[in-house]
Order: sequence, then structure tokens, then C-alpha cells
Amino acid sequence: LNEAVLFVYFRTQMSQDPDVASAVAAIRSLLEFLKRDQSETILGLRENLTKAIGRLQEADSSVAVSSGGELFLRFISLTSLENPDLSQCRNVMIERGELFLKKISLSRGKVAKLCHTFIKDGAKILTHSSSRVVLKVLESAAADKKRFTVYVTESQPDSAGKLMADKLRRLNIPVTVVLDAAVGYIMEKVDLVIVGAEGVVESGGIINKIGTYQMAVCSKAHNKPFYVVAESFKFVRLYPLNQQDVPHRFKYKADTLKTAEDLNQEHPIIDYTPPSLITLLFTDLGVLTPSAVSDELIKLYL
Amino acid sequence: MPGADKETDLGERIEAFLAELKRGGRGSGETARSTAALLRRITAQARWSSAGDLMEIIRKEGRRMTAAQPSETTVGNMVRRVLKIIREEYARSRGSSEEADQQESLHKLLTSGGSSEENFRQHFAPLKANVIEAINELLTELEGTTDNIAMQALEHIHSNEVIMTIGRSRTVEAFLKDAARKRKFHVIVAECAPFCQGHEMATSLSEDGIETTVIPDAAIFAVMSRVNKVIIGTQTVLANGGLRAVNGTHTLALAAKHHSTPLIVCAPMFKLSPQVPGQNSLTCVNAHCPVFDYVPPELITLFISNIGGNAPSYIYRLMSELYHPEDHEL
Repeated sequence: LNEAVLFVYFRTQMSQDPDVASAVAAIRSLLEFLKRDQSETILGLRENLTKAIGRLQEADSSVAVSSGGELFLRFISLTSLENPDLSQCRNVMIERGELFLKKISLSRGKVAKLCHTFIKDGAKILTHSSSRVVLKVLESAAADKKRFTVYVTESQPDSAGKLMADKLRRLNIPVTVVLDAAVGYIMEKVDLVIVGAEGVVESGGIINKIGTYQMAVCSKAHNKPFYVVAESFKFVRLYPLNQQDVPHRFKYKADTLKTAEDLNQEHPIIDYTPPSLITLLFTDLGVLTPSAVSDELIKLYL
Repeated sequence: MPGADKETDLGERIEAFLAELKRGGRGSGETARSTAALLRRITAQARWSSAGDLMEIIRKEGRRMTAAQPSETTVGNMVRRVLKIIREEYARSRGSSEEADQQESLHKLLTSGGSSEENFRQHFAPLKANVIEAINELLTELEGTTDNIAMQALEHIHSNEVIMTIGRSRTVEAFLKDAARKRKFHVIVAECAPFCQGHEMATSLSEDGIETTVIPDAAIFAVMSRVNKVIIGTQTVLANGGLRAVNGTHTLALAAKHHSTPLIVCAPMFKLSPQVPGQNSLTCVNAHCPVFDYVPPELITLFISNIGGNAPSYIYRLMSELYHPEDHEL
């Protein structure tokens, strides 16, 4: 199967449904790849899949695609352990893959259901950049007839915060866009901070748009709760000890990685927030403390 | 007819229990035991044919009981324990491995094939007897909690130490009295206004020969520099490792953190509740004189329960072993 076809399929998925999480689009593409794959052995299948995942990461270097890909590989390994015969295995894999996709497309709804009870009437919420999960949470809270106001950071270099503000205005939620530099200034006014995550790492920390770490440190200084909302397929087997530890392939966009001469001159687009600054994580597996995240990962990969 | 009599008798007992709850005034240990005993009676006497029916009945009664006295969380906790027991016994009767299937997890997402919806409709004859036996085990566990906690006292209290506590906790009382049999130490009790339960605690401790001092709540910070350990009880342990404890505990915890004094919480496992702070937390509280305080997990050093000592970050794990996630909301 041509990897270029896969690449095109992935791109179409992302553009057709802008609401879908990139990890879900990646897994959908990989499932399609699996259906059309011609390998004779499981090892061959794994090799092809690994190459395909590498190709997808060249298209979109975010952590989410990486975690989606790893999860799919793990899914293949677990299923192949039960059925060592490839032809039988393939049918089981495809059937389970469809079921898996169906389940994870419901994750966002589950997270929203858990989180919106934490938003009280009259609350002032601060959020960072544009996150589809946070949007869903705020949508559920608004549907629950709660009155609240939202502050969104502009989030340069792509001004994603302005998009978020537009979407919130369409839901009739009062929203104000603030400068990234104004986070410290606005922190005393807000009641709680809710952010999404591109990836949740093993320590319970998160990888998210640059500026999240700053917001977390400020909220800790002001004793405001810092909540993270993320679906469980974003859990990734990474354990960064500090900002420099995050691999380069996640920090910069795929195009930058290919064309840049000196990465030290480029601006990273994500940062790492350690677990000590996070109050709670809302996932489709339940409300977790940061220490519970590694438990989930161990259960999966052991 | 014996059937109808049993049902009215059961109904009466439940009403009597609800009235007792509304009146309040009982200790949480006693409440937990009577709740478990009542649930055992419901299992034995109510009419049900499958595990699903029984769980529905218990859930319904559980909702009524928690509505009668929302601040008494042990009732809800016992209901959830019993629901988990029923699920486990059902799974055991079906022969499937109960360990992995219970919790929602990434692993389960990946490996489950087909419909994994359990509807608990199958009928198993020995299920009733198994559930009642399991509830009996639960009752035995409940009876031994204070002793199990007190047994660990000697590991934590050393000679010539100064211990601080607040208000009156039966668990802490037993804990300190057990240590006093072999060690000599001094206890400072904060009186905990306006009910001043600290006075009763001090009287009780001094009757056992423990040197006790009572201080007003305002003096907590001033005295903290001379304290080696703070040992407190609590009303509830929340899912994130925080506490809902008597008014004044947060002050005590902050003072202890400031002086880097270890804060030890003695709480039996039936006080562990799946609630998280921030979720309709203080709705049942009188605004003019709040009865309970929230203490965040960062201020707590150690939890001593009937199953041993644990860090606050481990509480989520204990919770997943005691309750099933679908029962968090009754």
C-alpha cells in the first residue's frame, strides 16, 4: 500500500471534519491502512504500520498523532497475542478497531459530562488557546443553564485564542481575549483555569500549546485550581524531566523540522507542564489525580 | 402471610433508620455499621431475582438515605461498598475474572470485543447467600477498624513527643491511648469552638494518665513551633486525597505546613468517599457557621487507616479498589 495514499487519506480526514481530534483521524487512517494491507505475517504488518506511523508524523508532528499511533500499535500487539493466525486475526482486528473508534469518538462527550459540574454559577474561567475539548465542556455547562464568563489568551504565534473566542461568542458565552503577557494580571480575577492537552505524559504532566506552563505557575501562585481536560487516547509514554527533555520532533511543526537550519533559532510551539502544578485531570476514564495517570499507562503497556 | 409481613417489617426498619439519620448525633462508625446491617437485611428480606434487581433496590434506598442526611457520607460509602460486593459476587458466579473487567481503562478500551454491557440479569441461586456472607465480612471489618488503627500507634508516636490534635475524634482518642500504654508523651488539644469538643477529648485523655493541655483555636499557630506531630481525625476523605474535617482543621494544617510539622490523619476506610471538592461541596452547610473545612492534599503527610499507612496521592487507588466507578453517582 502506498504511503502517499495514506498521507492523502489522513489529510482528507482532518479537513473533512475539523472537529475530530488529530489522534482519532490518525487511528482512522491506520485502520484503513490495515484493511488494505497485504502482508502475510504479523511481523510484516507491524513493520508496515510502523513505517506508516512515521509517515503520518511527517505530516503532523503533534504529540497527539504520536500517541494515537502508539496506541494503535499496542492494539495490534494485544490482538495478535490472542490470535496468532494472521487471516483470522485481521478480521478480529478490523472489527475491534471499528468498535474502538466508536468508543473514542464518544470520549469528548464523557469528559464534558464529568467536568461541567465543576463550573459554578457566576464563575470566571481562564483558558489557553483553542481546545475542542474545553469548548465542549463550556458548551455543556452553558446548556446546563450556568452563567459564567471566559477569558481566553490570544495565544501567539497563530492567534488561536481569537478563533476560540469566536466559537464561544456563537454559543452566547461572554468572552474576553487577553494578551499572553496578561495572564499574571488577570489571574487574581479568575476562579479557575481549564486547559486542554495535546498529550498527557507518564508523570501526570501535560504537553500543550506554549504558554500553558506559564499559566500553571501563575495559577499555583494565586492558589487557583488548574484543571486539565483530555481524552484517554492522549496518554503517551513520555517522561520529560524539564522543558529541554521534550523531544524536538514534538516541539516544532513538521515543516519547520524539515526546513530549519538551526533549531535553536526556532520558537517551540508546545511546552511541558509538570504534575505538581495540575489540580485534577478530567478524562473519559474518570476524574484523575496526576498520580493516577501512570497507573493507567502501566495497565495498558504491561 | 409471611411474605407481606417481612416486607412491611423491612419498610418499617428503613423508615426508623431514616428517622435516626435525620436526628443525627451518632458517630460515623456506628452509622456505617448500622447501614451495612440494614443493607444485609434488605438483601435477605426484599424480593429480587437477579443481581440487577437487587442493585436497583439498594441504589434506590441508598438515594433516600443519603438525601436524609447529606453530610453523613458514610451511608453513601457503605451503599457503594455493597454494590461493589454484589458486582464481584455476580462475576464470581459467572466464572469470569472480575479483576480486569471492573474498571474502565485504556487496556479495556483496546481489548474488549463486542458488547461489553453487563446487565446483571442472570439468576444464580447461591448469589443471595454469597452476598450476605460478603456483607458479614464487611461488618467484621467495620468492627475492627478502630483497633486496627490504634495498633499502629507505637510506630508513629515516640517518647517525650508533643502531639497536637483538634476537637474530638474517637479514632485519634483510641490511637493516643494505645500509645500511652507504653510511651510517655504530651498532648495539646485545640478546643475547636463553638462546640468545644476539645474539652471532652482532653478530659478523656487525662483520665488515662496522658498529660494534656487545652488551647484556644487562636493559639494554634503560636504553639505549633513546639509541636512534633499533628494527629487528627476527619469526617470524610475525598477522592483527591483531601479532607472534609471539622471547622478549624485547615488552619491547623496550614500552621503545620508552615513549621514543616508532619500532619497525620487517622481515618478508617469507610470514610473514603468518591466525591471531589469543587463539585457541589459545601451546599449542605450553614453559611453563618460552617461546620466543615476543606483541607487540600498538599498539606497532609500521611493517612493511617485500618489497612496501614498511605500517602494522599495513593488515595485514588484505594478508592478504585473499594468502589466501582459506575456507583460514584448513586
